Amino acid sequence: MATAGASPDVPRVAARARLREVARAGAPVVLARERCLEVPGPLGEVVPGLRRGAVVAVEGPPSAGATSLALGLVAAASAAREWAAAVDGSGTLGGLAAIAAGVDLARFAVVRDVPGDRWAAVVAALLDGMSVVLAEVPRGVRVADARRLVARARERDTVLVTLGAWPAAATLRLHAEGGVWTGLGAGDGVLTARELAVRVEGPGAPVRGHVAIAV
Amino acid sequence: MAARTLCLWCPDWPVVAARLRGDGPTDAPVVVLAQGRVLACSAEARAHDVTIGLRRREVEVRAPGVVVLEVDPAGDARAFEPVARAVEALAPRLALERPGLLSFPTRGPSRYFGGDEALVARVLDVVRDTAVPDARVGVADGVFAARLAARRGVLVPVDATPTFLAPWPVGALGDEDLASLLCRLGLRTLGDFAALPPGAVLARFGARGLGVHRLARGEDEHPPALTTPPPDLVEVCELDPPAARVDAAAFVAKALADRLLERLAAVGLACTHVVVEAETEHGEHLARGWRHEGALTAATLAERVRWQLDGWLTETGGLTGGLALLRLVPEQVIPATGRQLGFWGGDAAAADRAARVLARVQGILGPEHVVTAVPQGGRTPLERVRWVPWGEPREAQRPVDAVAGPVSTETPDWPGTVPGPSPARVFAVAPRAVLLDAAGEAVTVSSRGEPSAPPARLVSPVLPGGGGEVGAWAGPWAQDVRWWDRRARARRSYWQVVVGETACLVRVERGEAAIEALYD
Repeated sequence: MATAGASPDVPRVAARARLREVARAGAPVVLARERCLEVPGPLGEVVPGLRRGAVVAVEGPPSAGATSLALGLVAAASAAREWAAAVDGSGTLGGLAAIAAGVDLARFAVVRDVPGDRWAAVVAALLDGMSVVLAEVPRGVRVADARRLVARARERDTVLVTLGAWPAAATLRLHAEGGVWTGLGAGDGVLTARELAVRVEGPGAPVRGHVAIAV
Repeated sequence: MAARTLCLWCPDWPVVAARLRGDGPTDAPVVVLAQGRVLACSAEARAHDVTIGLRRREVEVRAPGVVVLEVDPAGDARAFEPVARAVEALAPRLALERPGLLSFPTRGPSRYFGGDEALVARVLDVVRDTAVPDARVGVADGVFAARLAARRGVLVPVDATPTFLAPWPVGALGDEDLASLLCRLGLRTLGDFAALPPGAVLARFGARGLGVHRLARGEDEHPPALTTPPPDLVEVCELDPPAARVDAAAFVAKALADRLLERLAAVGLACTHVVVEAETEHGEHLARGWRHEGALTAATLAERVRWQLDGWLTETGGLTGGLALLRLVPEQVIPATGRQLGFWGGDAAAADRAARVLARVQGILGPEHVVTAVPQGGRTPLERVRWVPWGEPREAQRPVDAVAGPVSTETPDWPGTVPGPSPARVFAVAPRAVLLDAAGEAVTVSSRGEPSAPPARLVSPVLPGGGGEVGAWAGPWAQDVRWWDRRARARRSYWQVVVGETACLVRVERGEAAIEALYD
């Protein structure tokens, strides 16, 4: 055993390094993937995981594929057998599309026809008990309300997926940029698939990807 | 030994309340439905063989001219408030189980009025003064036995409760599954069941069975809790400004109820009897107990508190001001045994949390605003999903597979189903559109399913840019739906149309086009 003073630093530094190594092996491990919800399907190649407590803003012009992207993110909760809810302002969310995206309907609730003044309260309530909340952003949401929801999502470790123009900060922004439909001709064939262009703005450099929405 | 209890029962209270409100006529048969089945019926209806649990159509067949009403629990509670108030003048600590049924321990009041008989007479007197046509009173040891005694309107002598209970059928226990099992085992009456040794009952039927066995023997379902609830479990909330409207007060009460049950659960307790207390801005003090046979859940507790507040705030001559303080006091607590976490982790806890959150949202917006999708049979994206209010049974209205045949792993689509991916936006009320051919004429579909011309242009406000030239299309898928029913018959055809980069499903019905779904 080396004592202080006799051979001062070299053995002590080595011992410390070894000790750290042992401690690391013994420490309880929190895997990054446990703090993450894995996104299934083709969307998972563009957005591999949703960190709990994150806000993901999905934006895009109408019928450019934003709804399909948002449903694909909700499916991350179903893949982990957890609960999800959607606030559907217009009451037009397609149930079959949710199934196709991989959403487990038994663990998926939809809140419809929310008056504008209660929207923030409803989303805040849902953030308390769900793993993923998909919220369609109505027109004229106050920035203060949006910021409060971001804080709430972080505090409750719930993923908030917003659909539409989101006025506050977001961990990740997905822009649906549309894409060409295939399978349909002039009077023949049926719609089969769409190659959807997605632009991801995240903490790193912006990523562009393509997601195939298939039959 | 269970405490001696008096139980007051007003039969068919939903019907009585409806008549007091003026909703139901007093000279015709009246039936009150809850979720499509008979909850209560008047004596006139019963004379036509109407029984509890029938469906609406059966009722209308059996009793022509019957007045069918939907249940209104808040209205029932409001109508019962005067009765509760009249009885409260005789006996404190009364507890309501539901509107129309209340009970209280008789020890003090009996001694004061000179015996159980005198007390019963007093109670019947004051209830008759409140214009309630039929009220029955029973006295026995324990709430359960008192409730059965009230059905017969008898006064069971002290210590005779087990003998009184013995001939009742096991169905009286109110647990259908257990009752049917006991019948199959040859135990048809409470006396038969009570004769079993408690240890054997616990081993065979579990904790719930033991509780029911205690009832059958004339004891309380839960042994008296040795721990009195610590006073810090009382939940108080001051309302500033004072609440004069029911919904304002009820909203606060909901949060209060959630908090109370959360704190009780944290110390491993469940609540079977809670006292709702309120103070008005002028210092009036109100209190009323509510009891529940099982344990009160957040939803049932909040519902009862709402009924009570409704009764206090809307009953005329009740209060001089708004409510300034609200208090929930757990009067009787039992060890919580009914909660079990999922085997592989906290799945049940997460489900519980989700259910609580959804119930809260339903409280904010109304129950029909929170829905869940159930896939069902049909041809169009709109038909193939049924949206059910959260909490109601997830049942499809139409079978998913249309053809009965050899079992296949894939459920076959209904004939005429529009193929392809499922649209992410489905309009229940389809926005109008115009589908034109190259010559500028509207595209129509003949009764043989043949289009007049290929579509060339689609115009609709929901499309980006208001529509445009049709890039690609397929169809029509012609459907002749319910051709045997003249009123429900629909002849329509569907087109898949791509305009620019937007794909949509267009419906043409009676020469008019509409956008039924968008592939967003």
